[in-house]
Amino acid sequence: MVRDGDRVAVFNSVHRIMEAEKILKGKKLDVLMIPAPRTITTDCGLALRYPEGICAEVEGALGEAGLLPKELYRKAGEGFERINE
Amino acid sequence: MKDLDVRGMACPMPVVSVKKALEADGAGLRVLLDDGAPRENVRRFAESRGYSVSEETVAGGYALTVTAGGAVPQQGAPVQAAQGAAQGPLVMLIGSDRLGDGPEELGRLLMRNFIMTLKEVPQLPDRILFLNTGVLLAAEGSEVIEALTALGNLGVEVLSCGVCLDFFQKKEKLAAGAVTNMYTIAESMTGARLVLRV
Repeated sequence: MVRDGDRVAVFNSVHRIMEAEKILKGKKLDVLMIPAPRTITTDCGLALRYPEGICAEVEGALGEAGLLPKELYRKAGEGFERINE
Repeated sequence: MKDLDVRGMACPMPVVSVKKALEADGAGLRVLLDDGAPRENVRRFAESRGYSVSEETVAGGYALTVTAGGAVPQQGAPVQAAQGAAQGPLVMLIGSDRLGDGPEELGRLLMRNFIMTLKEVPQLPDRILFLNTGVLLAAEGSEVIEALTALGNLGVEVLSCGVCLDFFQKKEKLAAGAVTNMYTIAESMTGARLVLRV
């Protein structure tokens, strides 16, 4: 479901993640809404997964829409590294 | 020992074929398969069920000899119901692309989330039957193709109603699992140990 190097973005409400997905899919970006990995706590239990190669486009589009994720992670081996504060 | 040739089959059919063969004869078999995903998936599947697997190179691919016993099912690996005459399969029936009653958008999101979560649960269904708008989940454009393919590689049989695919003009667009008919659907349900209607 989440490959090494993939980014996982967590939002603080289901409405925000649905809006984020709609915007990113509208831009034909390769994002997938997934159940949030067990090791990541979220308010809504969902997350967006996308490859690191498109992180600039994804995060740029989210910033423009005022939908920056609450938490952002990178899959590293068996775990996830937090990459935003 | 019986030979089973799954060379040329696309995933998850090698795993599905091996699973069926082992259900018919649990003693073991020799599987001829292609390198890459089929070889890795069949090995992982057999080992997760407690079978020993040995490997050799043969003309046109690989041969995995799968034998009962000698290995311990992997800790934490998904398991499926034991098959047997007295115990039918665990069948899941999905008759809609939405989960629960309420706003359509929320229902679709919940169904996607449910299917993606399935492969993480300790007991997998043996078979998932898609009916009515449920077949849209297994067709091109669905967000859960990756998850259904992963379930197939774990030995879950994914079947979609042919009439329903035809109705939605998706017969040529099936992207996960196989097409089935009402005979198989009815037999699966009446012969099941348990049917979970989602």
